[in-house]
Amino acid sequence: MVSKTEETQLNSLENQVDNGGGGAWEYLCLVRKLKARRSEKVLKYGLSILNDPKKRSALGPEEWTLYEQVAIAAMDCQCLDVAKDCIKALQKKFPESKRVGRLNGMLLEAKGSWGEAEKAYSSLLEDNPLDQVIHKRRVAMAKAQGNISGAIESLNKYLEIFMADHEAWRELAEIYVSLQMYKQAAFCYEELILSQPTVPLYHLAYADVLYTLGGLENLHTAKKYYASTIDLTGGKNTRALFGICLCTSAIAQVSKGRNKEDKESPELHSLAATALEKDYKQRASDKLGLLTSALRSLKT
Amino acid sequence: MGLGFIFGVFGVLFLFHAAYSTIQYRGLLKIMEEEFSGPPMNVVLELLLGFVFCVSAALTVPGNFLSIHPDSEENRIVSLPANLDFMIFNHRAKALPLEIDMKLKH
Repeated sequence: MVSKTEETQLNSLENQVDNGGGGAWEYLCLVRKLKARRSEKVLKYGLSILNDPKKRSALGPEEWTLYEQVAIAAMDCQCLDVAKDCIKALQKKFPESKRVGRLNGMLLEAKGSWGEAEKAYSSLLEDNPLDQVIHKRRVAMAKAQGNISGAIESLNKYLEIFMADHEAWRELAEIYVSLQMYKQAAFCYEELILSQPTVPLYHLAYADVLYTLGGLENLHTAKKYYASTIDLTGGKNTRALFGICLCTSAIAQVSKGRNKEDKESPELHSLAATALEKDYKQRASDKLGLLTSALRSLKT
Repeated sequence: MGLGFIFGVFGVLFLFHAAYSTIQYRGLLKIMEEEFSGPPMNVVLELLLGFVFCVSAALTVPGNFLSIHPDSEENRIVSLPANLDFMIFNHRAKALPLEIDMKLKH
């Protein structure tokens, strides 16, 4: 989870390294810690460290982690010969390593030779049938080939064994949302919220899915989850504030005929609207007019 | 940090001195064959003073406390990590050329 201080630190380090101020190694360590996907910059600055023999020897044993990071970044930017050279260097140092075998499989995937990659992964799985990362790579391969239903099947089988893997639950939820299977996606988000209740972004995604499903009960629950997102982020999440306004107006529209449950206090809506206006005035004051007219049309 | 450290040293010294005085007082009472009901008032005062000094040193010497609120400005979660275990490589950036020709040189 990337907190606000970590994000500002990452951005400032990135600016510093871009403008030639040094600190490339700290930047690479921070990217690795936060699991950010900045492959171009990692490739550029990682290669600049690796090609300089003085800086390389200054790293000591961390050199091999850098080789792995640069290899993955090179595969992401489609510089396959750089990746192959890095993996060769790693293989010379660690000849019987499963981690290097996995990198080889990923290189075959990046080249597009799916059959050979599948063979490499199955042979690695024979030695160690409970290797989580290899199972996840097979799911990613199915997704990359366009076989989404196969990916869902293998991901479900994986989650039957490793139920606590929240990254896999998140991936499954995103796949279901891309296929518009919102009920199943809601189930996945519920699992995520159960295991990590203090991450506001899961509450936000769950509320979005419930709002998309529609129906009076779902709208009420979605409003509650938007409110909990605002609670956990200290009111700084604009999307949740908009969510509250939209939910209130949708509930008002759906229950226009029935008059027994319009005792919803309009305070939440007006509070969210005020917070939005204050935020816009501070950050994008030229768009404040658009915001007020949009909110006014929602109120009816 | 220096001041807090000095406070801590003084607090520990006060506590040791109070303990020593209590032991001496007990020895004196044994000679006079009286009951030991508790240390004298000034030793108790010295104990409390030593306690206050030690606690204030313990709070100030280690440095600033970190915030524990999930919604404080430093701690609030802004984005989730990029789920690198499921990363796929045949995305649209395959068609974008890289600006310099990069190679591993050795």
